[in-house]
Amino acid sequence: MKKNILFILSLFVLLTGCVREDEFDNSPRGNFEALWRIIDEHYCFLDYKQVNWNAVRAQYETYVTPGLSNDKLFQILGNMLAELKDGHVNLYAYHNTARYWNWFEDYPRNYSEELVENYLGHEYRIGGGLRYCILEDNIGYVSYTSFSAGIGNSVLSEMFRYLDICNGIIIDVRNNGGGELTNASRFAGRFTNDKVLVGYMCHKTGKGHSDFSTPEPIYVEPSDGVRWQKPVVVLANRHSYSATNDFVNSMRYMPKVTIMGDQTGGGSGMPFTSELPNGWGVRFSACPTYDAEMNQIEFGIEPDIAVALSAEDQAQGIDTIIEAARVYLNKKP
Amino acid sequence: MAACLLVHAQQVPDSETNAFSSEAQPSAIGPQHKEYVRATMFGLGFTSLQDTYLSPEIYKGWEFRFSRETLHQTKLMGGKIWQQTYFQGNFGYTDNRAENNKTATALANWNYGWYYRQPLTHNFTLLAGGAVDLNGGFTYNMRNGNNPASLRAYTSVDASAMALWNLQVKGRPLNLRYQASLPLLGLMFMPHYGQSYYEIFSLGERGGTVKPVTPFSNPSLRQMLSADYPIGKITLRLAYVWDIQQAKVNQIKSHTYSHIFMIGLVKRFQKL
Repeated sequence: MKKNILFILSLFVLLTGCVREDEFDNSPRGNFEALWRIIDEHYCFLDYKQVNWNAVRAQYETYVTPGLSNDKLFQILGNMLAELKDGHVNLYAYHNTARYWNWFEDYPRNYSEELVENYLGHEYRIGGGLRYCILEDNIGYVSYTSFSAGIGNSVLSEMFRYLDICNGIIIDVRNNGGGELTNASRFAGRFTNDKVLVGYMCHKTGKGHSDFSTPEPIYVEPSDGVRWQKPVVVLANRHSYSATNDFVNSMRYMPKVTIMGDQTGGGSGMPFTSELPNGWGVRFSACPTYDAEMNQIEFGIEPDIAVALSAEDQAQGIDTIIEAARVYLNKKP
Repeated sequence: MAACLLVHAQQVPDSETNAFSSEAQPSAIGPQHKEYVRATMFGLGFTSLQDTYLSPEIYKGWEFRFSRETLHQTKLMGGKIWQQTYFQGNFGYTDNRAENNKTATALANWNYGWYYRQPLTHNFTLLAGGAVDLNGGFTYNMRNGNNPASLRAYTSVDASAMALWNLQVKGRPLNLRYQASLPLLGLMFMPHYGQSYYEIFSLGERGGTVKPVTPFSNPSLRQMLSADYPIGKITLRLAYVWDIQQAKVNQIKSHTYSHIFMIGLVKRFQKL
């Protein structure tokens, strides 16, 4: 009887089998195959970007030979990933990080920290990741350079109380490469009295390039704390990326908000992390987000008013974009 | 509550009664007494895990496990129905193949089972029944960004059986036991294939994240082989646990295979 029970249990386990994903060899070929498969099965923009991933494989696999050095393999794999043209795609090793940064390196920077410091002066306030001050013409200026830097509700409320006397505020998210989406939505929630539809998010439901869930709406809820009711200008540049792209997208659906400067850098796919057999880390866009009209914002959001930093102004210590925002806000009723 | 119950407990030596005895009821103390076996164990062992939501790589390392079990006779069917409460808590720390990243895993497992006891020979007994199986925990990948962890939350109704074999070694009782539990039908939390926890918990998109599971999507098996041996006034339990936890839900595959060697003490007593 005991033998029968053991036999039945063993048979059951054999029938249902082991649940496991086969690993690739830790060889140049194995690491190449592992990376290709991770992107093939998980990357979310292959269809949208019309990337023929099989053709990319055929192109790059010829370079992968046994005995390839780590440096050379890293370079080949990095170049293969660059075909995706995505700032959220990286390959991490101890000796280097492969990245695609053309989305801002190929464009004018439209930002100078030195110029920003001219406007902030020396007596500016710091609350969490925010630096802010009141300019001479009674316009509030807020610089936020990373959505990874915390902005708690108390910090935001204190800032808006301080800026309450201003006729309008400038929120400068130029050069803000992103961070936490929760900070982006928390900040945006200070600029609306109503629940606002700002976009959609979906995720892959399977390994196919077109296997996506039904897009679910993303709303910004009005904050329970102090909410700003006066005009706002958000400054963006090509280095406004990822969570900052999301913030700019949310802000353009808020009343009394104008986006000024340059197009954002994009980066609308929430990145996931994986790894190769040799331990190199891989980051890739996994969950696409869209704007409220279901348009892709992976390659950025255009400003309402395009303004570029002029070399002449810069030479005089003037930030053309901040000045344009001040003029715009001072003309607002 | 436990203290109140123990007020009625009567500590009895192993020679007078034996939870694994195949003798017919009533027990040595009397028909109104229920026999209890309570064991507390600690163990260390090897674990191997894979969770494709986190990584395609298999992580291997050590696992610490604690367990507390109470197995007791009830008054149902003339004492032939036994009840088991089994709690296990385990913590694992594992490395990837390249040994440049780690995962930490914790899982709490609670089983509440009922068994029909059927002696087959004078020293061999079978207990067969079912159990409610609750599990909660996580696997945390130290390097991942927006997919840093997998939440473990699942429950099932298990088929469970024990084989008890009483031996004598140098005139002292040696109680061997094998137990296996197999999830039959249950519910499991699992994100969708490429879904982020941000979408689930911050945006509230939880549809389809709790799925029914069967032996085909959750082919798991917990097995334990134990030996109880009295040394002086105490009874020592040595056990080997082979814990297979597997799932393939929402196209995400996960497994944890643990081999744990445990040691602990057994307390036998009777209560009214």
